Amino acid sequence: MPVHCRRCIVLIVAALLAFSTDGCRTPVSQSRVITFPGSAVGAEAEVLRRQLHRFMENHPDIKVVQRPTPDAADQRHQLYVQWLNAGADDPDILQLDVVWTAEFAAAGWLLPLDRFAPDINSFFPSTVIANRWAGTLYALPWFVDVGMLYWRTDLLDHPPRTFDELSHQAAMVQSRAGLPFGFVWQGARYEGLVTVFLEHLGGFGGCILDDAGHVMVDAEPAVQALTYMRDAIYQNHIVPSVVLTWQEEQTRFAFQNGQAVFMRNWPYAAALLTDRSTSQVSGKFAVALMPALSTATPTATLGGSQLAINAHSDYPDAAYAVIAYLTQPAQMLERARIVGQYPARPALYTASELASTLPLPPEQVRRIIEHAVPRPVTPVYTELSDILQIALHRALTQQQSPTEALGEAARAMRALLTKVELDPESRAQQGQSHAEQ
Amino acid sequence: MQSSSEAREARLVWAFILPALGTILLIAVFPLCWSLWESVHLHDLRMPWRGQPFIGLTNYREALATPRFWEALRHTLLFTSLSVTLELGLGLGLALVLHHASRGRGVVRTAALMAWAMPTAVAALIWRFLFESPAGIVDAVLMKVGTTDAPFVWFIDPVLAWVPVIVADVWKTTPFVALLLLASLQNIDLSLYEAARVDGASPWQQFRHITLPLLRSAFLVALIFRTLDAFRVFDLIYIMTSGGPGTATEPIALYTFSMLFNNLRFGYGAALAVGIFLVTGVLALLYVRLLDKDDIGAAS
Repeated sequence: MPVHCRRCIVLIVAALLAFSTDGCRTPVSQSRVITFPGSAVGAEAEVLRRQLHRFMENHPDIKVVQRPTPDAADQRHQLYVQWLNAGADDPDILQLDVVWTAEFAAAGWLLPLDRFAPDINSFFPSTVIANRWAGTLYALPWFVDVGMLYWRTDLLDHPPRTFDELSHQAAMVQSRAGLPFGFVWQGARYEGLVTVFLEHLGGFGGCILDDAGHVMVDAEPAVQALTYMRDAIYQNHIVPSVVLTWQEEQTRFAFQNGQAVFMRNWPYAAALLTDRSTSQVSGKFAVALMPALSTATPTATLGGSQLAINAHSDYPDAAYAVIAYLTQPAQMLERARIVGQYPARPALYTASELASTLPLPPEQVRRIIEHAVPRPVTPVYTELSDILQIALHRALTQQQSPTEALGEAARAMRALLTKVELDPESRAQQGQSHAEQ
Repeated sequence: MQSSSEAREARLVWAFILPALGTILLIAVFPLCWSLWESVHLHDLRMPWRGQPFIGLTNYREALATPRFWEALRHTLLFTSLSVTLELGLGLGLALVLHHASRGRGVVRTAALMAWAMPTAVAALIWRFLFESPAGIVDAVLMKVGTTDAPFVWFIDPVLAWVPVIVADVWKTTPFVALLLLASLQNIDLSLYEAARVDGASPWQQFRHITLPLLRSAFLVALIFRTLDAFRVFDLIYIMTSGGPGTATEPIALYTFSMLFNNLRFGYGAALAVGIFLVTGVLALLYVRLLDKDDIGAAS
């Protein structure tokens, strides 16, 4: 019993000590300490560690400390919100998913970056749009992710340009070559479904929010796009209904095992599909833009990561120096080489280094990124996406008709925007009062 | 002299009780009060510019006006009534079998406990895997016996998606009910059955008039535990269906979680949490009164 107690006390004291040393963040010998949260494991953490180390060699007065954070986007988001909401000055730098920037900026948690005058013209325009809120730049693009159509070069001689062509090719190859699936995409009820829908939607000439901020998901193109997706499952039988439970990896497995003619996925899949030891389609696939109506533009959903500065950071200048270094061409190329993430600078796609290190032809990927469309840039994106995910999934699992589901979603989205005063009317008024000031 | 020792004893009693009381205050009463406070305020973590004003019952009114809330409530009631009924029925059967099995009772009892001891998250993953198509075992078996000719996707049908969920819950918690009833069965005085036999009662009459009435208390305890647990179901459904397809299998706890931790609407989420607390509280009170009555009935 006394032994037990003593051990308890030792543990408690140790815990207290651990907390107290962690709590005070005294700058060591005049150097400015910048904290950087990110993945703690794998090649990604390794390449970041290496780059930060090089940065510190060039800037002996700045010390950058890595903060391990969860890899899952939702968990990371939750953690960030807790930190920032409490007004913490730590971490200094934030690694943001492309759909978070507006939310964090509107909350006043991010430092405007315009005063550092970054050369934004050297980044893909869509990545810059996604990082602006109310006309102010809040983050710099770090690497780009983009949705693309994978197709089988051994079964087809060209990728489909229109949705009809895709349906036709899929059905034809399916029956000719006996493949179980024509087209696979991410259809589970999660963010991935919205990215897939956005690509269909863009191809039918629609959008989620228009430039003025009007909700457009109950307009004709949206209903057509969702009807096309649903008919592909239940009428044309080119998309298996099981995709409605699938995320990225399940679609990759199906495509990798040679079961599907087409797959919609992100660039990460390419490296894995090229691996001869596990993939049956190595050397038998290529990527293309998603199809579109002849009257509309092919659309790719923009993903990827951004770097921003905590508004409460003690050393914003030092933090910006870190961001500027990490977003330089050399660091982006190194990242592409080691973890296969695509640079946010179009100029790098002509570099021979990129061609030799990536499994996909850079020129093709650049063309797809140029068609990339950000998801609605609004502080309430997550709620909008939540509403849309439910509506899409209800329509695709035949609980509601596309018109009914999208109509309901549009009403809920409009009500939400009005409630938080982000509807077009309130925004116009805010713009006016802003101009008067 | 005596009174001072009594006073000392009283002080000692308080000294022993206070830490426990303090702990309860800290981990049960304080969070509850905080939730109540949050529930009457606007508190969107995402929108600090809206502040945290007092908004009275607006959050509660919003919940009552939201179809998704009522659906979630309906789903919760459906899940609770179905799974608890099945668990009590099957649990009683299992308990009777275990009670009468003379050989291997220990082994069977341990085996039954395994399911109960398994973390819900693990059980949920296993059951999802079994029902998943096209690789799931359930589909393979159904195709073998010829019930279906193509792989069947359980999780995209708003009604059939409940099957894996309820099967998993019943599989996992029936042993708990069975063990509870078994303990009670073994306490029944055997002379009661002897007397009944002497009087010429059939086995069914013995079961109906001796076993069942004497199992009442244990039954009620099992019912309370299972209903309250089932009403708060979260992990099982979160892992197996995430509430889908659409929101067809979303229970109230998952809806609350989604509002609190995905949408970070603390005020609204707190109002929902208070709602769950009220319902489970009323249920608990109801059951405790039933139990009380039962004890008095048994004593007299």
